[in-house]
Amino acid sequence: MTAPQPWVGRSRPAVDAEEIVTGAVRYVTDLFPAGVLHGAVLRSPLPHARIDRIDATAARALPGVHCVLLAGDVPVNALGPREVDGPVLAEDRVRQVGEAIALVAADDEDTVRRALAAIELDLTPLPVVDSPAAAAAPDAPQLHPTGNVSGRIAFSSGDVEQAIAPAALVLRRDVTTPSQEHVAIDTPGGVAVVETDGTVTIWCGSQNPGLHQRKVARALAIDVADVRMIANPVGGAFGSRNDDPMPVYLALLARATGRPVRVHMTREETMAAGAKRHPFWTSIEIGFDREGRILGSSVRAVADTGPVITSGPNVMKTSAEMSTGPYRFPVASFDGTVYYTNNANAGAFRGYGVPQVAFAIENAVTEAAYTLGLDPMQMRIDNALQGGEPHSLYRHRVTESLAVRATLEQAAVHPVWTERAQWQAQAAWPWKRGTGVATAIKGVGMGSGTGDAARARLEIDGDGTVTIWAGPNHTGQSIQTTYGQVAADVLQIPIERIDVRIGDTGVVPESGPTAASRSTYAGGNAVRMVCEELVRRCSELELPLQLDPEGTGTKLVELGEASFEQTFVLPDTDDIGLVPPEDLAKYGPHRVYGACTQVVRVELNTLTGELRVPELVCVVDCGTAINPAAMIGQAEGGILQGLGMAIMEDHRLEGGVPVTTSLENYLIPTIADTPLMHVEMVDSTEDSGPFGAKGMSEVVVVPTPPAVAAAVMDAVGVLPHALPLTPERVLSLLEEAS
Amino acid sequence: MRLNGVEIGSVPAELHGMRLLDYLRAERGLTGAKEGCGMGECGSCTVVVDGAAVTSCLVLVGQVLDAEIRTVEGLADAGHEPLQRAFVARQAVQCGYCIPGVLNSCAALLDRVPDPDDDQIRTALDGNLCRCTAYNRFYDAVHDAACERRTDEAGPA
Repeated sequence: MTAPQPWVGRSRPAVDAEEIVTGAVRYVTDLFPAGVLHGAVLRSPLPHARIDRIDATAARALPGVHCVLLAGDVPVNALGPREVDGPVLAEDRVRQVGEAIALVAADDEDTVRRALAAIELDLTPLPVVDSPAAAAAPDAPQLHPTGNVSGRIAFSSGDVEQAIAPAALVLRRDVTTPSQEHVAIDTPGGVAVVETDGTVTIWCGSQNPGLHQRKVARALAIDVADVRMIANPVGGAFGSRNDDPMPVYLALLARATGRPVRVHMTREETMAAGAKRHPFWTSIEIGFDREGRILGSSVRAVADTGPVITSGPNVMKTSAEMSTGPYRFPVASFDGTVYYTNNANAGAFRGYGVPQVAFAIENAVTEAAYTLGLDPMQMRIDNALQGGEPHSLYRHRVTESLAVRATLEQAAVHPVWTERAQWQAQAAWPWKRGTGVATAIKGVGMGSGTGDAARARLEIDGDGTVTIWAGPNHTGQSIQTTYGQVAADVLQIPIERIDVRIGDTGVVPESGPTAASRSTYAGGNAVRMVCEELVRRCSELELPLQLDPEGTGTKLVELGEASFEQTFVLPDTDDIGLVPPEDLAKYGPHRVYGACTQVVRVELNTLTGELRVPELVCVVDCGTAINPAAMIGQAEGGILQGLGMAIMEDHRLEGGVPVTTSLENYLIPTIADTPLMHVEMVDSTEDSGPFGAKGMSEVVVVPTPPAVAAAVMDAVGVLPHALPLTPERVLSLLEEAS
Repeated sequence: MRLNGVEIGSVPAELHGMRLLDYLRAERGLTGAKEGCGMGECGSCTVVVDGAAVTSCLVLVGQVLDAEIRTVEGLADAGHEPLQRAFVARQAVQCGYCIPGVLNSCAALLDRVPDPDDDQIRTALDGNLCRCTAYNRFYDAVHDAACERRTDEAGPA
């Protein structure tokens, strides 16, 4: 008999929703402890310069200033173990507009601002490396002792040229995708306190509290155990809280002053200094037979990671794996290079290298269908990678639960797709209409060979209340609600009896990042395991657990069996295919993938170039949706970020100097830009996931830009190759069409 | 100044040059109002001043000395508990940082238009950026709240 599941699979409001709507919740940037000082960062105004002199004497002498910290004041001036991780504070050279040079703490905000202005800074401009092409030039200034190449990943499963020799159609295309800013509405900030025993507590948003704990310990030259990161509540992340150095700044200021210190970055600082989505230049060569079957593809990609490494090579690793899209074909190759430049530092951003290469392959499939006279939906169905099949690049085995084909088939019968011809015919001058489709997969977790793991700790007390400490952390997805639903169904007790705690390195066991679409799958599995362990102990001791009428908690406490921890290690793929075993972590092929197909309607104004997206369909393969309405909310938000990338968002720099500096000139979608969205799920179950769940919150970003491009092609007969589709770009496409 | 229905008396002159947002957060401990851009673009600092939704980062205390000001903390007392409940029930909240501003824009609309249509909701929320959700549930939540308030006014059947 299967146990009932009263909690998993039923929509449940987030546990923190009530205190959000009353304004009671205190974000890390809402904390003003007694005696708190205000801190701020002095940042470089130039993209590349030699620091000739920094003099903080006048700033330090200002009444109310408690400290001005320069590079020499940081015990270990490094944000990571390698030179390319960059310094905490620039010492002899700045390599980006917005790079941190000094930290200041003072009694109030006005004094902080005066102190920043009083720091004397002499800079000599150096030649600016303003693009990957400039970085690769033989006489380019070298941004690191190791050169300007941040990373390269290449792999080939065979001879692509030979495979596509008999093709009916070979496309060779170049596409570009923009730098994108996360625009989490809360900018980085928080509070740090140094206790009398020298331990540091930092309240600062983080998607990877354990990593930030280690970064702080390194910079302050103290034990990791003496650093406590409390990493929520935070107002949004989307990747921006992976690479953020803010916890280190806060800890340094608190240590230097012996007082609590608060920092909250301005939007302008965040626009200049916050990590962005990597801009990509992607080339594809791909061959199709007459029926539209892919025979082989070769993808080359170049990315700009800015002056320090952050996530650059890891992003490209994900691009490599996803360069064959959600398709099954015999031969593929990939070659991607990440360059250092003096542009905005790029790091993790929802989708993590997949939207960029997906734009190349999905555009090619769209164009091939048009050229070969095939239905673009059916052509994708015919090429779809199926569960259990070998991946097209690495030939490793993918999970049986992969249901990309089902997402396509479900989208194919939605009226937004089936009624596209009628809808197009109803367009009224000067508008033209089109409908496009695109599809994608993305891996769940860090990939095979990486030892990716999550942990959970459980304690049951005398009155039978269960407390679970689990990670990954919550940055808006209400993951603690998901953990609670999993726990309640394993334990078969009401969810109100379970208290889930997250995001605090002082009490939560190391569980890795809120990244790689892994939280539900990895953290949910750790919670499942720790609850199953409680059930097992109760059963071994012949103690009842349901509603605990017999004092089970008290007895377990007496027996010393009331508290324990479990680790879930994400399983590797069953068959690593062509990947050399010693290089498994280097390529990190996934076992489990989520999938998503989208159908998008576009209206174009042929006079002004205005582009509107009034309606779209999104079909998700996420395995079991543990909290369906929360899953749909993740999908809708992800789609809107993909739509922003498709039609309006572009963090622009000229000669390394940002042109988009605030929310006045960097626009993200408002409610008026937002389409009606139909989000659906397909029936799928991932056997290795908690109650059959896997991850989905990144893959939903991926199909939107190429689906918009396909809809533009359907409307005006020209396929865009560069994003975003601003009115200017649309007008030049219309010129091309005529 | 009246703040969330309570007369708070005169505000010391040295605070008149403060942004209303900073006054609410630092001087009154009302941290429900958030800062997201400091230039009136994101709407997360939106409060209700004399019935109108206003970005409090662009208002100085000296400009609102005689005004009736309402923040998210005062929503329930102003009869907007149905709106708050609807945002929870519709799962319209993710990270929640924009939500106080969104709720204030919605409440100002409902005070003016008891049963708004989608176009009116869209116009009311055009100045509130949310990066987590895609706004769609805000429509549902406002309609739910309008319906509940209508039912409450009609009294038991």
